[in-house]
Amino acid sequence: MNTRFLALELRRAVRNGRYLIFTVVVPAVMYLLFVSLYGGGGGTFPNGLPIPTSLMMNMALFGVMAGPLSIGARIAVERAIGWQRQLRLTPLTGSGYLFTKGALGMLVGLPAVVLVCALGAVKGVQLDALHWVGVLVTLWLGAIPFVLMGIVIGLVASPDGMQAITGLASMLLGLLGGIWIPADVAPDWLATLMKVLPVYWIKELAQAPLVSGADVKQALLVVGLWVVGLSLIAVRRYRAQS
Amino acid sequence: MTETAVRAGAAVALSGLRKRFGEVRAVDGIDLVISPGEVVALLGPNGAGKSTTVDMMLGLSTPDAGTISVFGKPPREAVVAGQISAMLQSGALLEDATVAEAVGLIAALHRKPMPVARALEQAGIADLANRKCTKLSGGQRQRVRFALALVCEPDLLVLDEPTVAMDVETRRTFWQQMRAYTDTGRTVLFATHYLEEAEEYADRVVLMRSGRIVADGSVAQVRAAVSGRTLRAVVPGAGDLDLPGVRAVERRGDQFTLTCTDSDAAVRALLAQHPGAHDIEITALGLEDAFLALTGEDD
Repeated sequence: MNTRFLALELRRAVRNGRYLIFTVVVPAVMYLLFVSLYGGGGGTFPNGLPIPTSLMMNMALFGVMAGPLSIGARIAVERAIGWQRQLRLTPLTGSGYLFTKGALGMLVGLPAVVLVCALGAVKGVQLDALHWVGVLVTLWLGAIPFVLMGIVIGLVASPDGMQAITGLASMLLGLLGGIWIPADVAPDWLATLMKVLPVYWIKELAQAPLVSGADVKQALLVVGLWVVGLSLIAVRRYRAQS
Repeated sequence: MTETAVRAGAAVALSGLRKRFGEVRAVDGIDLVISPGEVVALLGPNGAGKSTTVDMMLGLSTPDAGTISVFGKPPREAVVAGQISAMLQSGALLEDATVAEAVGLIAALHRKPMPVARALEQAGIADLANRKCTKLSGGQRQRVRFALALVCEPDLLVLDEPTVAMDVETRRTFWQQMRAYTDTGRTVLFATHYLEEAEEYADRVVLMRSGRIVADGSVAQVRAAVSGRTLRAVVPGAGDLDLPGVRAVERRGDQFTLTCTDSDAAVRALLAQHPGAHDIEITALGLEDAFLALTGEDD
């Protein structure tokens, strides 16, 4: 991986005002809003997770969805305007390009996780050091399926369609994935649907050490299937294009 | 030098190159050898196969048949080594980057790039370094593309219709900068449909039509290959002129206009037979005439 290229790409990505607003500011503000609405009074979910902790994970996941999705989707723009052709006149390989975009997606997902967790700590989420590290790392690694989803969208969509698709994807993933409606209070049909999507299971992994009865095996299986499936689609799509 | 030796030392060697898109034979059997240091114009009307040929030389597309060697390597290897670079015809620049950032991104990927500031300077856009790529005129964008191509210090620079969006003045400046670059012994291949550019800046002209090379040589040779020269003379009291190297004769009184395949032989014979001939004028047809004759459709 070319780190200098990655650093320049990162600077370009984070300078974008929309990035800062949608992937860093919005999750943080939403977290503060939800905590002030529902977080008082020391309530917990049936599995024992305090409401502020659960909300923290949900909003951090929202952050790792939006940022990485938008990074991958910019592949569509770079392909359409011919910038990819310019890149093909350099030593950068096709897989190097996709890996750089992947790493970029992971990096832009990080600030939201850190910021929302920091706000969580301020708002009274109490975990021991090891659990903090575990939660942070798990939430951050939870960006992987969304990074891949973004890359697939970037390889499939036209630049015009890309905006609509990423917007729709992050809305549906959030809504159906349990970010806005907790699975515990969702109707049965929605709860079933949630368990097909990766978001629910990433949260399951993040909260596993803190609650009783988390299904880690099932979570790893579902998330793993998403990662493998999306990678295969990305590779096939990429090969078809070059 | 033998043919193989020329090919081995060549900047570019294309042999039997073919590429088709569906039923269209975009490139239909091209053989071409370009030696290091040559400045070659690839001339032809739209759809002649210029861009397809260029794309294959750059490794951007794969030929259906034939071989390509760039400095003795497959195109992709020459690209990776930074030996060949190109100014692409179309393609926007990154909308959210400045000129210096865009060039910096490409420089970061190359193994031995020149400093970004120097690339901007050589392309004549040092003053635009901090300008957003969206806020450039057509000619300025072309020069940013030029800087993108220069930054890896290629031995062979390929330019696909480089001056399309430029006005006359910008075009002239652009070619001056290009000259400064080629004076350092670099090889340049440029595709164009501006005849005067080929005439003025190329050592050699390769004329393409319908996916084939129809003429290849110096500007003078390509001109002569089509039409030879026109000899005009006043020949007092001449009957019918019968001279070698003449294809057609037109007469108006004593004024003759001879279309020659070999004007040297014709003028010698004319003076030998008619010492009184005067006001002799030999003109070459312009490259434009050659171009039209060679690239026009046969009707």
